[in-house]
Amino acid sequence: MKLVEINGLTVDFSQYGGSVAAVRGVSFHLNEGESLGIVGESGSGKSVTCMALLRLLGANARIGADSMILDGVNVLDADAEGLAQLRGRSAAMIFQDPMTAFDPVFSIGHQIVETIRVHRKTSKREAWAEAEQLLLRVEIKNAKDVLHYYPHQLSGGMLQRAMIAMALSCRPKVLIADEPTTALDVTIQAQILQLIKKVQAEFGMALIMITHDLGVIAETVDRVLVMYGGEVMEEGLVQDIFDAPQHAYTKTLLASLKAGATKPDSAAEADETAVPALELRGLSKTYRVHQGQGFSRKYADFRAVRTVDLVLPRNKIVGLVGESGSGKTTTGMMALRLTEPSGGQILVDGSDISTLEPTALKSFRRRMQVIFQDSYSALDPMMTLAQIVAEPLHIHGITPGKQQTETALDWLEKVGLDRNFGQRYPHELSGGQRQRVAIARALILGPSVLVADEPTSALDVTVKAQIIGLLKQLQREMGLSMLFISHDLGTVRTLTDTVVVMYRGRVVEQAPTAQIFENPQHPYTRALLDAIPASNPRDKRLRTFLSATDIEAATPRYTVIQTGMAPNATPQLVSIAPNHLVEAVVTT
Amino acid sequence: MIMFILRRLISIAVTFIVVSIIIFMMMHAIPGGPFDGNDMPLSDAVRAKLMARLGLDQPLHVQYLNYMWGVLHFDFGVPYQSPGDTIIGLLSRAWVPSLVLGGAGVLIGAPLGVLLGMAAALNRNTWIDYLASTFATLGLTIPVFVISLMLILVFAVWLNWLPASGWGKPERWILPIIAYAAIPLATYARYTRSAMLDTLNRPFVTVLRAKGLSERRIIFQHVLRNSAIPLVTVFLPMFIGTATGSIFVEAMFRVPGLGAYFVSSIEKRDYPLEMALMLMITMMYCLAYLFSDIVYALLNPRIRAGGKP
Repeated sequence: MKLVEINGLTVDFSQYGGSVAAVRGVSFHLNEGESLGIVGESGSGKSVTCMALLRLLGANARIGADSMILDGVNVLDADAEGLAQLRGRSAAMIFQDPMTAFDPVFSIGHQIVETIRVHRKTSKREAWAEAEQLLLRVEIKNAKDVLHYYPHQLSGGMLQRAMIAMALSCRPKVLIADEPTTALDVTIQAQILQLIKKVQAEFGMALIMITHDLGVIAETVDRVLVMYGGEVMEEGLVQDIFDAPQHAYTKTLLASLKAGATKPDSAAEADETAVPALELRGLSKTYRVHQGQGFSRKYADFRAVRTVDLVLPRNKIVGLVGESGSGKTTTGMMALRLTEPSGGQILVDGSDISTLEPTALKSFRRRMQVIFQDSYSALDPMMTLAQIVAEPLHIHGITPGKQQTETALDWLEKVGLDRNFGQRYPHELSGGQRQRVAIARALILGPSVLVADEPTSALDVTVKAQIIGLLKQLQREMGLSMLFISHDLGTVRTLTDTVVVMYRGRVVEQAPTAQIFENPQHPYTRALLDAIPASNPRDKRLRTFLSATDIEAATPRYTVIQTGMAPNATPQLVSIAPNHLVEAVVTT
Repeated sequence: MIMFILRRLISIAVTFIVVSIIIFMMMHAIPGGPFDGNDMPLSDAVRAKLMARLGLDQPLHVQYLNYMWGVLHFDFGVPYQSPGDTIIGLLSRAWVPSLVLGGAGVLIGAPLGVLLGMAAALNRNTWIDYLASTFATLGLTIPVFVISLMLILVFAVWLNWLPASGWGKPERWILPIIAYAAIPLATYARYTRSAMLDTLNRPFVTVLRAKGLSERRIIFQHVLRNSAIPLVTVFLPMFIGTATGSIFVEAMFRVPGLGAYFVSSIEKRDYPLEMALMLMITMMYCLAYLFSDIVYALLNPRIRAGGKP
């Protein structure tokens, strides 16, 4: 039986000065128990389609359709009460960012109980007991405690589990997941996806998975809808879409998934004796956290980064990977002295800059530049692009005033934008275009070191591939040394020469890129690699996940003979192959 | 929570002392003294004798310590303007009309303002919103003495429904209270509107809708409570105004409140009265912020939990 049937759905948003068609004539259906994936980039109308199905769009949206049936009810004709019946009971939804999806002033338990009691007549006590059961089913171990937690006290992964529990509370017939893992770390993403599949089977629900990530599609669905510009480009079984894509757009999407699976060898072989472009020696960062209450002067040290050693050779790209909170961004910011380190040294071209005064530091700033993840907040909204790109020249007083704008326009061209973009403002650009501007601004000074902090994680897949291509090309042309901070292992594999894996403020493994991917030694590196979504539905598999204690317990062991080091029970970085370091215990 | 309040009380005591020193110094920095007025010329000898009796010939820090010692014993001294009275007696008489006027003004204005703001936010970009916003803007931009004059003109002079001024009987209270309520009403309407619109645009509201909650429940259970958090910070400082009354409204309607003493105590260098008024306001600000911090913590679990996991 068909659970959802949509024919000719259109959605227009009326805006100041006209209306924008977000969805133009979309039709699809969903059978009971089936898993449907909707894939497309931002603005393709995939989320809007599903929001329209539950009539969750704002007052400025105009929905039209030949028919839109959910669970036997014509959604377009439903009144407020009918809608409240459909929502949560026929279809439940989970959203992208679990951190903002809960009401911050009520406890998790309160919000689940509320949902149960709105739809079913149960006593408070029964509802609380059921909420606890639901949390247990989404594999939250300390469910009794979590019921009384407020949203800010839980991590993103835990909140997304609680969100799923809340969605399950009314036994919906279809679960709509709108980018449920985009805001999460790759290891947590794998766990959440597997959990969604598990509860789908247990509760016998249908699933609509909305995502921009083909890997997520490959892992979770039976049938796929490819959307672009508010229209369905292609529809088919997931295996067919991956094996024999018909539409040009689908082919581009798949190509971006496989982009650079083969990596051209970097032409310039690193000179082992040359002074590295950037070297970090025992760099650490400790934050003081106030503990206890009232007048107590108790402070605890939170060690965000503990003694990291890192070498960035000239003309190479080093990838710094790890989950959020691992200290990778802090390390990158300390390398630029944008965050003051608590200890250790930073060597740029061999000279120590870790204690330089601001005036002395300024000349080094020219050689070290940075690109951030969020290109929108990284560009001053009040300045034109030409001003933004020329500003570094102005600050360092390099080229004479008149030439600055010329040079800036040249750079806009170099990063693939038109010269006449110079007069535009950041808000007129797309995310990818803004990131190009950020790259132009970073490189206009001709730096030797570039720190790129997740420069592509806010971008759509096809745009991401373009930006990576641009970075690669400019790196080769300018002989840049780049520290590439990312949690996206696919990109790291295609772009970098060496990978440094960070976990809980420490470097746990470091090796040439091929080595890391083919022969990972540390349990955390393995967990990270195992969590990468399959690039083809054929390769999907059940995963087992390691907890933090499992990872600590599985610390590799090497003997004195293997390493030539003195025995030591505390884990330390040991060299196990040329350029391959791993945190391990040395035994006799 | 108790530690939190205790810590706040200590910081209030420190604030109080610092502010009292600053006020005392500023007060004495104004040139002239209480007996320099021309209406009753005194000989130098008499003035010196008077100054000595009031302790004004002593060094400033001694005067300050003497005064504060009195304050600790709830003895605020004797007003120079009416030596037969005590400051406590004078303030407690004048305070009642100010408290009635201010209290009633805020208690009427604030809830009406919240309702007006809610109506505007829930009917965004409709005529209700525009009307409410216009009303609120007018309330904030027209000076209170103009509003007072218009009220007197319409209700007392033209319609002859209500007395134009005075205080004694309850019907005389109505016009000044309406005039006083204009500012809290307008402020509240504006803050409520923007706080509610902010909350309505947050993603969790969509989640609540997707859960199948009725719009009523979403607004009253979730949106209002989240919007109340920024409102509390505006609410309490406004209550101080209630206790001190409004100099302008009291002057326009000839209400025998505190307002007049603020001006006369400075003009006549009536040091004890001036000091008492200022300390009173300081204390009320301190208590109001303490109270608002407590309410804030009760509304917002992030503060209430105090960082415990």
